[in-house]
Amino acid sequence: MDANQKYLDPQTLAKLQGLELRARSIVEGYVSGVHRSPYHGFSIEFAEHREYSPGDDLRYVDWKVFGKSDKFYLKQYEEETNLVTYLLLDTSESMRYQSDPAGLSKLEYAQCVAAALSYLILQQQDSVGLAAFDTEIRSLIRPSSNPSHLKQLLHVMQRSEPVRKTRTGPIFHDLAERLRRKGLVIVLSDLFDDVPSMMAGLKHFRHRRYDVVVFHVLDPAELDFPFRQTTLFRGMEEMPDVLTDPRSLRKAYLDEFGRFQQAVRKGCRSQRIDYVLLRTDHSLEIALSSYLASRMNHVG
Amino acid sequence: MFAHAPLLAFGFANLLMLGWLAAAAAPILIHLWNKRRYREVRFAAMEYLLAALRKNSRRLRIEQLLLLAVRTALVVLLVLAVAQPYFEQLGLPFVAGGRTLKVIVIDGSYSMGYKPTDKTRFDRAKQWAEQIVDDSSQGDAFTLVLMAAPPTVVVGTPAVEPAGFLDEIENLEMPHGGADLPATLALVERICENADAAGLDRSEVYFLTDLGRNTWAPQLGQAEEAEYEARIDHLSNIASLAVLDMGKSESENLAVTSLSSSEPYVTTAREVPLSAQIRNFGRQPQNHQLVELHVDGRRVKESYVDVAPGEDTPVHFSHRFDTPGDHVVELRLGGDLLEVDNHRWLSAPVKEHLRVLCVNGKPGSGPMTGATDYLALALNPDAANPLVEATVEPEVIAESALLERDLGQYDCIFLCNVAQFTSSEARLLESVLNRGGGLVFFLGDQVMPDRYNRELTGEQGIRVLPARLGEIVHEAQYQYRFDPLSYRHPLLDVFEGREQSGLLTTPVYTYYRLEIDPDAKARVALAFDGGDAAIVEEAIGRGRSILVATECSLSSVDPASKNPWTTMPAWPSFVPLVQELLALAVEGQMSQHNVEVGQLLGESLEAVTTRSTVDVIEPSGDRSAVRLALDAGGSRWSYSDTLQSGVYQVDIGAPIDRSEAFAVNVDTRESDLAAIGPDELPRAFSTHRQASLDEADTPSIGQRSGLHKGLLYGVLGLLFFETLLAWRFGRGVQ
Repeated sequence: MDANQKYLDPQTLAKLQGLELRARSIVEGYVSGVHRSPYHGFSIEFAEHREYSPGDDLRYVDWKVFGKSDKFYLKQYEEETNLVTYLLLDTSESMRYQSDPAGLSKLEYAQCVAAALSYLILQQQDSVGLAAFDTEIRSLIRPSSNPSHLKQLLHVMQRSEPVRKTRTGPIFHDLAERLRRKGLVIVLSDLFDDVPSMMAGLKHFRHRRYDVVVFHVLDPAELDFPFRQTTLFRGMEEMPDVLTDPRSLRKAYLDEFGRFQQAVRKGCRSQRIDYVLLRTDHSLEIALSSYLASRMNHVG
Repeated sequence: MFAHAPLLAFGFANLLMLGWLAAAAAPILIHLWNKRRYREVRFAAMEYLLAALRKNSRRLRIEQLLLLAVRTALVVLLVLAVAQPYFEQLGLPFVAGGRTLKVIVIDGSYSMGYKPTDKTRFDRAKQWAEQIVDDSSQGDAFTLVLMAAPPTVVVGTPAVEPAGFLDEIENLEMPHGGADLPATLALVERICENADAAGLDRSEVYFLTDLGRNTWAPQLGQAEEAEYEARIDHLSNIASLAVLDMGKSESENLAVTSLSSSEPYVTTAREVPLSAQIRNFGRQPQNHQLVELHVDGRRVKESYVDVAPGEDTPVHFSHRFDTPGDHVVELRLGGDLLEVDNHRWLSAPVKEHLRVLCVNGKPGSGPMTGATDYLALALNPDAANPLVEATVEPEVIAESALLERDLGQYDCIFLCNVAQFTSSEARLLESVLNRGGGLVFFLGDQVMPDRYNRELTGEQGIRVLPARLGEIVHEAQYQYRFDPLSYRHPLLDVFEGREQSGLLTTPVYTYYRLEIDPDAKARVALAFDGGDAAIVEEAIGRGRSILVATECSLSSVDPASKNPWTTMPAWPSFVPLVQELLALAVEGQMSQHNVEVGQLLGESLEAVTTRSTVDVIEPSGDRSAVRLALDAGGSRWSYSDTLQSGVYQVDIGAPIDRSEAFAVNVDTRESDLAAIGPDELPRAFSTHRQASLDEADTPSIGQRSGLHKGLLYGVLGLLFFETLLAWRFGRGVQ
């Protein structure tokens, strides 16, 4: 493993101070892990054809030319900066949750992902914008491809202090109306909200022809419910406290939580929204790979 | 076929272990403690946790209660198992496992003969004993003890083969005596102490008894009481003790407590008054009870009596026997549920007349001058009256003729003023006593005290005198008078209240001071006013020897004062005194024919028979041969197996060639059927329940209960169940 790759591990990443450093470490770690530059030939407009030679990616074969001339030609692109990515970062109180085995809270994890994506996107001279929200939009930064734009993005991300409850539905509606340029919308949230309302908001993005990727950021404790002894669960986001024996309730909770996840997945699938589950104890590589795949779909 | 409901009780071998039942609260306390001791976490996905809680709260509560119940039950079962519970059925505690020595003690006191149903309590006890054996496990061993007086170990070596043991139980017969509990416990203790050596793990002792107060509340001295209690404590440590109560405490019973002749000897010459006592041992008055008098098996008289509860009622009959020989008188009650004490027998050796030999130590020169002249007259005062049939036939011989006589044919021998006795004579006199005859010694001026003391007081090995002779007491012009000593001795019964009989005014001038060995059983019947003994008597052998300190004639005269030793022979008290002396002397003849259960039968025979045995025919009809032993003057037999009441017939072969009857009666203390209550039982027994079995027809003793094993299996099952539940409910180890 490349030394840089260790920064994809949340535990290691937690030891790094500063979001910018974390973002760079993530991206460089990720890039060093792939054999071939994953963003070669992306983000560019078509320029010319060239003849196929063994080893070329078949995905870029121009099949129309092959149909006409029976010869393989590859499409050649020239760089373009017209891909706009909007990062929608949930900064509600529930995102502050961090269980013992997790190196980062959900918000920190989401911040890292957002920062890394921003860094990556700006590296590719694409535009990236940011919206931080809880019950309302706390910050909104218009997309830009200027590398100096990164600092502003990171600054806003770090300033996000989770205090309130999530209200994703209205926020998504509002943002769908306010965002001007079509592009890719990446949602970073635990989605602890009314699912139909949230899905209605996401549907609005789709209606406005945005590609949407949902990064569902969840703590491992929320997914596995590993509690053993009698526990007083203190509610976040104005929820009441519960004193219970977690072992007896585990199955019921997992069922309940599984139904929530299922509802979200199903909603996303029906809207052709990419759903990516991000466990805060798993590598950040998943997030970057998912982004790049989505981007490819978007431009392809 | 009988609807006998077994009585069940429940107990624990390790009662103290039950204290650990408090540990059953542990799961509840832990549960409560856990609820108070919790960790606190902030949690984001509360919406889903709350939803899960809402939907499952009822199920969770039920699961929690179920788990709690299982864990509590687990602790309870474990503690119960360690406490070794047992089922106690009809007083029998059962503890499972190992080889057990079962000591079966059957009460052999005759109150067990009470027959409330078609079987006596003794029969029922045997039935229960057989049931105990039948219900025992393979490898158990048995011993059988009959609690009688004295107790008998019927099977002492632990029997592992039930068949033979059951035969012993079947053949067991109830003796007609009492029961000695302390002695029985000592026997049982020895048996239990040897259980280890026989490879047995523990001992169980079963007392099958009616809990009669006479047996179970023994009257003991302080030291015996302490020993008795210590023995029970020790026994309870080495064995489990169970009592099966075979009777009811308030059983009614009427018994003939005595039957006797008012005459010390019976002759064909006169009618004999017979008196008996009927006692009501119950709580209800028994009125118009039929009492029958049977003589030699024939009913001769009957009467009806009313007997108040706890009271004695005397019954009087009289009968004249037509022929000499042993006759059997039986008093028979109408009958109640305890048959044994409804009869009483009296064996009466009837004679034509009593044969008395008077040995004259100082023959007189004229009428009424010899040493025996007054005595012979006093023995048969009606000799001159041809209309009166004599009951006593005195025969006077000289001192020198003593050896020539067959003393065996005399019932009593009066020895009057005899100077001395040789060893041969002493042996003859001893044989008289051994045969139940009587000896009466009168002293006088011919007597050589040193020879008396040497030959007759045991110095030469023969003891026929109840006291030694001391110096002659005489005081000039002084008349010694008799002191009746408050008429305590039966000899003086006839004089009590009859001062005119002259006993107290009988003048005595000279007498021998009698020296009584303090260790001897001799009793002073009459004393002098100075405190010296006047008449001393003692039962020696089977007969009785009486020593009178002075003369029975006027022939002994003080040389100085010319006064006779006493003028008693001329005094009105003389005839009754001589008659009473004779009666007392021959009393043994009747009493040796009338004994109580357990006492020895036997007699010395006046000759050696041609056979080496005599035949004893028991009341049941069984005949047994008893070996004869040589005696000084003839031979002797004795028979100790008098366990049943009734008449024992003894056939003696030639040349004596006679049949004698011996009456063996019960000691009627055992007729009191009062029983002790369970709370009066010694503490070692009290943990076991008793059941009254008078009404039970068929014994039914439950099988061994492997209860603690079952409980342990239960614990194991609950452990699995708890694990399963905990896993199922999500509380188990993930």
